[in-house]
Amino acid sequence: MGWEIVGVPGNPPCDPSIHKSTVDVIASVVEPKLINTLVRKLGQVAPLENLRHVKRVKRRNVEEQNVLSVILCPTVDDEKQLDFIPCDVLELINIHQLHPFVTKVSKYAASSKEEWEEQCKLWPTSYHPSMSTVVGISDFTEEESLMICKFMKCVIEMAMCNQCGYQGKNAAVIVDPSRKQVIASAVDQIFSRPACKDTSRNIEIVSMEDSNGSVANYGEDCYPICTSGACIQSNTASSCMYPWKWKKHNFLPEATIMKCGSQSSDSSWHPLKHVVMIAIDKASAIDRMLFPNSPLPKDLYALKDEWESKSSSLKKQKTQKIENREELIQNEVIDDLHSEVTRPYLCTGYDIYLVYEPCTMCAMALVHQRIRRIFYAFPNPSAGALGSVYRLHGEKSLNHHYSVFHVSLTEDV
Amino acid sequence: MNSEMTMDSALNSISPLSFMELALQQAKYALENLEVPVGCVIVENGKVIASGSNRTNAFRNATRHAEMEAIDILLKEWQENELSQLQIAEKFSKCVLYVTCEPCIMCATALSILGIGEVYFGCPNDKFGGCGSVLSLQDRHSYKGSQVPEEKSFKCSGGVMSLEAVALLRSFYEQGNPNAPKPHRPVRISQ
Repeated sequence: MGWEIVGVPGNPPCDPSIHKSTVDVIASVVEPKLINTLVRKLGQVAPLENLRHVKRVKRRNVEEQNVLSVILCPTVDDEKQLDFIPCDVLELINIHQLHPFVTKVSKYAASSKEEWEEQCKLWPTSYHPSMSTVVGISDFTEEESLMICKFMKCVIEMAMCNQCGYQGKNAAVIVDPSRKQVIASAVDQIFSRPACKDTSRNIEIVSMEDSNGSVANYGEDCYPICTSGACIQSNTASSCMYPWKWKKHNFLPEATIMKCGSQSSDSSWHPLKHVVMIAIDKASAIDRMLFPNSPLPKDLYALKDEWESKSSSLKKQKTQKIENREELIQNEVIDDLHSEVTRPYLCTGYDIYLVYEPCTMCAMALVHQRIRRIFYAFPNPSAGALGSVYRLHGEKSLNHHYSVFHVSLTEDV
Repeated sequence: MNSEMTMDSALNSISPLSFMELALQQAKYALENLEVPVGCVIVENGKVIASGSNRTNAFRNATRHAEMEAIDILLKEWQENELSQLQIAEKFSKCVLYVTCEPCIMCATALSILGIGEVYFGCPNDKFGGCGSVLSLQDRHSYKGSQVPEEKSFKCSGGVMSLEAVALLRSFYEQGNPNAPKPHRPVRISQ
């Protein structure tokens, strides 16, 4: 397909030099017939606690003879290492008349095959690719990767739409992946008119109601949003890329009137209307529209209590069997509550597709709104919060964590 | 409280404490409306020009923090007065924000984007504070690459009436956030 979906890890990749650092251990050449006994005993008296990636035994071929060396124990510190051999190990040394020497092993597990090969020249180590490499495309089903690529293409087309030309603008769609349905879509609106915004919103609502879950439709649905004029006047680059640039642009209302053909009072601009902020705003507006009679927080609060007492009784049912009709009725009560109470909390379970990696404002907004996964096509080296400058999704203190994927395009779209 | 703040209070006709008092009133208003109780005021030349309280539950939009509410009021008003970007940027640079809780990473970035003059906050926000707790977005030196111009940073002092701010948050979380997702285990709510 020419698309690659690569997970962006929450923690920065380790400094490559770290994998070259070594640590001293005490080892000895051992007769092959002794090796099993020794390895077993050493495992008990001197386990390699912090060197689990290091193999206990090194095998070399010297003049067609198998020469085996075994790590007796780690060293205590750099000086007089041989003086600090534990008694149990000393005993083994004496019994088997070993000749201990100090040698170097790699301090950390290898993060790549190349590193591992390098490490093994020193002393053999083990290597687990799954531990070190990022989530690859193989973790998605074919159907899922197809969906991801289509939505990605959709946002790129939105950003590239004819009327605006390709000016590095950011675009977004929020998607419910379980139904493959667009919840909201947006383009940067640092400079735009409210009238245009409304047009695009109407179209989205229609497209949402009409769609039957087929991904193929969304490409078409995206076009009216672009041509509706929502992206007129955005002659700046992606707002997440240069968030501070708004001050340098002197926006002329007259220019908007010429382009949009409307009253100057309609024109407005907002330095914080990055695509993510607008998309979240739209998604929440749609939620309010779809669930207008949602109980007031107070009522919902009462519902919650009720729901909780019901759900605990439901749990009991799982272990016991449904014995009487009364409990069946209780189940129905829960189903009734289901539609309101289990409606997605904010954007829980939803994915967002972005042309550019978001800035810290937008990335944090997506944490607040509980998005599930973020897919972006281009990294944002100047202000990106999800891999480029910061790795917000790796901040442990946050109350919500999403997965981040870089969808790279290896062919022209 | 540090010496910087007492200096500033001498410059302002009213001390940061009285502005924080007003921000706390906004937070109480949020609490009455079953919102996470965070409030703020924006001050220009010693005068409150905008206030905001958290409205995330009302809008079902978790980005509608108190700061965002107050910022939007100003942006709307100033544009209606036909101020240009440059004029608005100039105005923001002279504004002081008083907020009951440390701005989150989102709001701290927003304040940096707008070029706010100065920020006073109440209690720190250990989970997602953007002014020192998790990230330090107000501090230009913290930005990787270090070629960040001064305009992106802002003066920021915390701990102004933080006990009051914490007390409000505590009373909210004791009653429970009605809109929070269902916990996996039932939560016992103290009456």
